[in-house]
Amino acid sequence: MGMVSRILAALLASLCLFGAARAETQKDVHIGVLAFRGAEEAERTWQSTFDHLGRTLPQYRFHLVSGTAAFLTAAVAAHRLDFLITNPGHYLELKVDYSASALATEQDLEGPTPSEAVGAAVFVLDDHPEIQSLADLRNLRVAAVAPDAFGYRAALREIMERGVDPERDTKQVFVGFPVDEVMRAVRDRRADAGIIRSCALEKLLAEGAIQKDEFRVIGRRPSGALNCQVSTRLYPGWPFVKVAQTPAPLARQIAQALFGMQPGQDEKAWTQPDAYGSVQDLYRTLKVGPYAPFTRLGLADFVVEHRYIAALIGLGLIWWLTHVVRVSYLVRKRTHELQLAHEAARQRGEQMEHTVRLSLMGEMASSLAHEINQPLAAILTYARGCERRIESGADPASLRDAVQRIAVQAERAGDIVRRMKDFVRKNPAPQVPIDPAAALHDAVALFEPTATAAGVIVESEIPDTLPAIRADRLQLEEVVINLLQNALEAISAQDDKQIIMRVRGDRDRLHISVADNGPGLAPEAREHLFDPFYTTKKNGLGLGLSLSRTIVEAHGGRLLVETDPAGMTNFRFYLPLIEEPARV
Amino acid sequence: MSEPTPIIYIVDDDPAVRDAVGFLVSSVGYPFEACASGAELLQRLDNARPACVVLDVRLPGVSGLEIQRELQNRNSIAGVVFITGHGDVPKAVRAMRHGAIDFLEKPFDDQVLLDRISDALQASKIALTKQGRREHMERKLGALTEREREVLALVIAGKTSKAIAADLDISAKTVENHRHNLMAKAGVGSVAQLISWATETPDA
Repeated sequence: MGMVSRILAALLASLCLFGAARAETQKDVHIGVLAFRGAEEAERTWQSTFDHLGRTLPQYRFHLVSGTAAFLTAAVAAHRLDFLITNPGHYLELKVDYSASALATEQDLEGPTPSEAVGAAVFVLDDHPEIQSLADLRNLRVAAVAPDAFGYRAALREIMERGVDPERDTKQVFVGFPVDEVMRAVRDRRADAGIIRSCALEKLLAEGAIQKDEFRVIGRRPSGALNCQVSTRLYPGWPFVKVAQTPAPLARQIAQALFGMQPGQDEKAWTQPDAYGSVQDLYRTLKVGPYAPFTRLGLADFVVEHRYIAALIGLGLIWWLTHVVRVSYLVRKRTHELQLAHEAARQRGEQMEHTVRLSLMGEMASSLAHEINQPLAAILTYARGCERRIESGADPASLRDAVQRIAVQAERAGDIVRRMKDFVRKNPAPQVPIDPAAALHDAVALFEPTATAAGVIVESEIPDTLPAIRADRLQLEEVVINLLQNALEAISAQDDKQIIMRVRGDRDRLHISVADNGPGLAPEAREHLFDPFYTTKKNGLGLGLSLSRTIVEAHGGRLLVETDPAGMTNFRFYLPLIEEPARV
Repeated sequence: MSEPTPIIYIVDDDPAVRDAVGFLVSSVGYPFEACASGAELLQRLDNARPACVVLDVRLPGVSGLEIQRELQNRNSIAGVVFITGHGDVPKAVRAMRHGAIDFLEKPFDDQVLLDRISDALQASKIALTKQGRREHMERKLGALTEREREVLALVIAGKTSKAIAADLDISAKTVENHRHNLMAKAGVGSVAQLISWATETPDA
């Protein structure tokens, strides 16, 4: 127990001592460095600067953080960097987005002036004599490290000024860092031309990575004091940048240290910061970086910068969202209402159908009662006859015939009752394959007594076998009876009464017609015939024909009226057959 | 002279009713003929037999009532019993006014129907007898001239030859000639016998 507590106490003490000592001796300063040829090259390039800072400002511990522009930007956004050494283009973006500012600009003591230190070279393999100027790049493959590389952008400006739009007129090949990849792409003929930062080719030559006459720089421009071949204007060298939250005293100390740096051979030195106006020009021309409409701006910055417009847009968004929600709510509500209305209409339709059927049944009722009375009278009479014969001691075998006939007549009465019951049934049936002959026979059987009572014989020609149709049998019967009833009423006032019903099937339709020799239809009646509640009858509902047409059309057919060659008024309709001759 | 057998005609467009009524009447021994329409009845009707027509009021084509009229026009001796699907008072009244025996509603009581058929046959027999007399008379009188019939009527009325000659505005001699011819055609020798010949009936 005592052992454990002693160890724990020692550990805690040592931790406290260590932390206190570090805090007192050195403060951490993180400096981001843009690496275009890998972390090692970046470190090598800026080693002298770091060494100088370390010597001059021993109270700070300097950390080199190398990476791509995107990586460094993210680090700045996360407040992980105090300073950066980066290319002018990236600096411009940081200046706009994160209020970065340049403390110093690199200076090569033996090289170019600080404001004309960086450019880009566009190069091709020397065995491509046909490619001489930047205008010749049209339709060629052009390699570069990345779309946001500074050298690439510098070259872009020049190429565009020669009337070639690299995005549209060339095939761009972005090979990524390090810049050596661009050289390799051209050498391996994966690209016809390469864009590389100024002096990179010279450096590769010095390293022995390329041959002296292997590549040729095209579209050359004067390079001034810069001892490298370039195809572009020259831009200021890299800045040493501080970000917004870097403490001012630290920045001052660093700037003083940089300006006091005495560089050796091939080492970078630092001078007063350039205004980087030429870089702004470049970016403005290309409409990239801070000049790209919306693309590079952080949303938060944009909102702050344009708060009134943002407020308007915000209101607009809220209005739009409200609108969308409201519209979808309304759509759902209306859909529901429509469904309800549809359902109500369907029920009304069914109700109407039922009403019309009941009305038709009402008109046929007394005739049907008579029709049922016939077999009942026959049954009773046969039965009484049997009784008498039995009483008079007749041979029971002689009664068999009569008893059989009684059964037949009872079945006949039952059939009539079934047809009537079926016809006034309320439940709507689905459209199923049916044998139309049976349905049509039933319809005629239901109607015949009414016709007979009126002194008419319906001449019906219904073939025994008809192709199957898909139908609600009840609705089909209703249409037929309705047409028969109309025909009967049309001829009621005349002596010569004729109703002819014809049925035939052709290749894809079943045709049914009911013709009468009545006086025909007045033009006005013909026009409104199928309108609901239009009627020429004293007691008519005016629903029969409109309903019949609705039913026929719901079955995919049509109901028409015409005067046939014999002068008869002919209501005819057709229904489509089931495509495959189906068994019913 | 043997009495002709009575017959029942059943007229209904419904074969079952036709057949059932036939079955009933034959079970009491009546011969019958079933007809599907009025036209068939008129074609088959035998006016020399006592007959009852059991007639459905509602028939396709010519209706039952129209057939009844046609039977009357043809001086049919058949009695008519109507059967009907439903009581139609105006039709029933019309039928009875035109001499129908009855107007029965289907389904009818078998006994009532058989009774009415019996009544109808009875009436038909009487009608047949009357018709026989009339025919006999017509046959006798058919051989006489018109003037002879006028003279005979006045003789039967008990008038003298002189009075007859004055009535008919002819001479007494001419009346005597007619009387002579009448007695020759009747095959009788006296005026008394002539009167007896003219008024006799087969049944009398």
